[in-house]
Amino acid sequence: MRPFTFTSAENTMQALGAVKGNSKYLAGGTNLIDLMKEDVERPEQLIYISKLEYNKITGNADGGLTLGAMLSNAETANHPEVRKNYPLLSMAMLSAATAQIRNMASNGGNLLQRTRCPYFFEVSMPCNKREPGSGCGAKNGMNAVHAIFGYSEQCIAVNPSDMCVALAALEATVEVQQPGGGSRMIPFTDFHRLPGDQPEKDTNLQPGELISAIHLPKSIFSDHYYYLKIRERSSYAFALLSVAAGLQVNNGVINKAGLAMGSVAHKPWKLTKAEAFLAGKKPTQANFEAAAKLEMIDAKPFKENKYKVEMGTRAIVRALTQAFEREA
Amino acid sequence: MKTLNESATGKAIDRVEGHLKVTGMAKYASEFPIKDKVYGQGLNSTIAKGEIVSIDTSEAEKLPGVLKIITYKNAEKLKTFDNKMTEVSTTTIAPVLQTNMVHFYGEYVGLVVAETFEQAQYAARLVKFKYKKDANPAIHLEKLRAKAYKPNDKSDYSRGDLKAGLAAADERLEVTYNTPIEHHHPMEMHAVIASWDNGKVIAYASQQIVNDATIAISDTFQIPKKDVRVVAAYVGGGFGSKLNVERHVIMAVMAAKMVGKPVQVTVTRQQMFTNTSLRQHNEQKMKVGAKKDGTLTALSHETLSHTSPTLEFQEACGLGTQMLYKVPNNFVTHRLVPLNIQTPFAMRAPGEATGSFALESAMDEMAWKLRMDPIDFRVKNDTQTDPSNNKPFSSRLLVECLRIGAEKFGWKDRKTEPRSNKKGNWLIGHGVSAAARSAPYLKTNSKVILVLEGDRVNATVQMDATDIGTGSYTIIAQTASEYLGIPVEQVKVELGDSNFPVTPGSGGSWGAASFCNGAMAACVNAIKTLKQNRNIKEEEEVELADLMKKNQLTKFEAEGSAGPSKEFDEHSVYSFGANFSEVWVDKDTGMFRIKRMVNVGAAGKILNPKTAYGQIIGGLTMGVGMAQAEQTRIEPNFGNFITRSFADYHVPVNLDMANINVVFLPEDDKIANKMGVKGIGELGITSVAASIANAIFNATGKRMRDLPITPEKLIEAKIEPGINI
Repeated sequence: MRPFTFTSAENTMQALGAVKGNSKYLAGGTNLIDLMKEDVERPEQLIYISKLEYNKITGNADGGLTLGAMLSNAETANHPEVRKNYPLLSMAMLSAATAQIRNMASNGGNLLQRTRCPYFFEVSMPCNKREPGSGCGAKNGMNAVHAIFGYSEQCIAVNPSDMCVALAALEATVEVQQPGGGSRMIPFTDFHRLPGDQPEKDTNLQPGELISAIHLPKSIFSDHYYYLKIRERSSYAFALLSVAAGLQVNNGVINKAGLAMGSVAHKPWKLTKAEAFLAGKKPTQANFEAAAKLEMIDAKPFKENKYKVEMGTRAIVRALTQAFEREA
Repeated sequence: MKTLNESATGKAIDRVEGHLKVTGMAKYASEFPIKDKVYGQGLNSTIAKGEIVSIDTSEAEKLPGVLKIITYKNAEKLKTFDNKMTEVSTTTIAPVLQTNMVHFYGEYVGLVVAETFEQAQYAARLVKFKYKKDANPAIHLEKLRAKAYKPNDKSDYSRGDLKAGLAAADERLEVTYNTPIEHHHPMEMHAVIASWDNGKVIAYASQQIVNDATIAISDTFQIPKKDVRVVAAYVGGGFGSKLNVERHVIMAVMAAKMVGKPVQVTVTRQQMFTNTSLRQHNEQKMKVGAKKDGTLTALSHETLSHTSPTLEFQEACGLGTQMLYKVPNNFVTHRLVPLNIQTPFAMRAPGEATGSFALESAMDEMAWKLRMDPIDFRVKNDTQTDPSNNKPFSSRLLVECLRIGAEKFGWKDRKTEPRSNKKGNWLIGHGVSAAARSAPYLKTNSKVILVLEGDRVNATVQMDATDIGTGSYTIIAQTASEYLGIPVEQVKVELGDSNFPVTPGSGGSWGAASFCNGAMAACVNAIKTLKQNRNIKEEEEVELADLMKKNQLTKFEAEGSAGPSKEFDEHSVYSFGANFSEVWVDKDTGMFRIKRMVNVGAAGKILNPKTAYGQIIGGLTMGVGMAQAEQTRIEPNFGNFITRSFADYHVPVNLDMANINVVFLPEDDKIANKMGVKGIGELGITSVAASIANAIFNATGKRMRDLPITPEKLIEAKIEPGINI
């Protein structure tokens, strides 16, 4: 690891004011410290933000819920309000990593965790995300765990988060504090970005911005939900592919579907075509299959990740089926 | 032989060193409080093949605390290999930093020595190497078949006439299985603290065989063996990766000499992939011929694998195929291709773990072709004589393992037809496999020191054996307790120091039998001598304390030595077992869960059911890893491993493990050795993956011949009709 300076911020002003040069905010550190050990991240300064006030879960006037960014993933996933009204989020978060990591990892940090692309992790390999202009090793290399949607010539990496897939399905909003004071709201689907020709940028955060909260709209999927995570072992494995599915069903008809897929794109992949198709339809196997096909027909896999097309199709149908059949 | 405390061995006592481990008092290699030690950090090549053209150390040298940067340019001269291929062994030299040539990605190209660990790590990032890269490193086994060669005389075996045997068969099978590169990954990463004192080396090193480590170090530095001492008091797992001396040990010894201070080198988890050995990829082609009634007529096993450009290791995948079943026509070959990957070496049950996947899958495939129960098929071809050498087995309870296992598992309720056992989204299957692992027994020396304190005798047993987490301390203490007739609490066991009497160390499942017979020999000698000195008849029962008193002694030492008998050499000595698995495959996701496993073993006298159970559980877990997810993947364009940590290299987690029933069959085999002990550490992993793959076939109707069996592969195999888009 390279030397760095360490600043512990007591409040938001201190944190925002401490930013200079290549600074990184440090909360749980479960991803950042690993990447520093690997020499992938080389910050000159770490600004410790876990003491900041964004450590509560509070109800909103519109019936929604606000999750503090500094809360741990474990505290959030196990919170009674989250379990009761946002079980899809709880299920996704509890499928992630290990109990130990979930105890350390913060909500804000989860939104900023970086890709698991092996070329990104190995500094002797080419990677446009780590070192812009060095090339993409994965495109003609090992791409079994890579994107099938929304990638670019520059980068085919995927976002590894489970939590974010559920947040995309739930249509959350991210609140960030700005360096000059003040804050702004970012709809979840605009928070992460596609790689385009700037794969080094995972999100639309501006320099120095600090995530303070995640706002969840009023719960509508607490009766019918499922987070399906396909992985190589039962715990402590990133998803090969995942689907977050929420259904609001009234009188045997789908009023609204919330659907997102993980590990298939540079950002949590919101299944908008399937959502639109399912609205107003009956929750039948045939409709679930039709919805899945609408999305997966656009998939463009690489040499080693062709399996994701069939896996994704099955996963959408399965997640919707389990979401519908689940009795709250 | 009559003993004084007959119940001491065979008891499921707790580990005698357990409290030291759970309280952090047991000292592993890097934990010895060596005064003034400094830290070395290995530097790794970033090309698979080529040469170093320049090294820039200027930036790193400016950093505070940096003491020395060692590369091929300033390294001590060491003994190196001749130009011809050398077969790797547990005593092989480990030259390092002797040339500018790079043979594989991650090969050590330097060592930074600094006052603190952090300084060494930082400085390591600042050393710049420029390479002339070879455009065509050899990294694709599949593309380099033409370069395959026959390594040695042990590579091939045949009896009868394979072609005739296949011609005489009613059913024939010809299929290929693949097992991937795997890494040992013991919990304790390799580590060493080395120092020089008056021309003599002391290395606190995580090694499985300390005597062989002294040979490798002294040979590499061309100094007398007596001038090298290796201490490995506690070893946090080895699985074969610590059998030989790896290059970090040599770098530490070299650096200690060059900086005049003790040097610690710990291998990082990432370096555990590149700078320790590995289990190589084996492509195994099987041919099986059988009569309608299940009589095997032909069996062949051809393995293609790889080794490094300079050192040769051949895993004997076909060994089990030679000896497990009575078949007149048998043909086994092993071929190697030199690749720009580090030298493979023994990983838990080398040959058996991988070979049994091919053999026991093929047996299942043939049983299905014959529509015969896979247990009956194996029983039909059982033999009490080793067909590979015509020696009788000293004991072989394979049929009993299969039959008793079937009963415990409820095999009779298995649905024979694949895909006929479904529950919701699950496809359920049951699989079986047979296991055989040789039970080697090697010469072992030991010393016992008896001290009379009041009315009790405290004993200390010394030998240079190691406890790599297996329970050596405990079973040696139990043995001494039994043969000295004193409680186990009065026995102290001291291991892992090359100053102690020589043993073969831990490896190859020979430890338990060798160490305990060695300890027994010293204890028996002690009592015999004490009796002879006072003219007491050997059969007369006398308490040890009384014997010491009659001898007017407060301290007495005796040595002993044990090793294989003529009878041992005249027999084939193996442990046998059977594995049963129940697997639930998710029809949509391709994920599977192993719900139940039954493992039955016949492995001689079980010295301590608790530690033996731990060995089997560990073996089964590694077998589950083999079947489910463990694989090290090579980047096809650069030749590096893309699996770099436990986040990518998927060993099983607790949740992956099944409900496990372990059964030991009583076995009294005094041909194996006087105490009747057979190895068990490698039996536990043998054929586990086959039982799981066979269960997956029973569940899905799909034969998975390439490990690991991942969700991707099961989806690609179309375990359910696809949804067309």
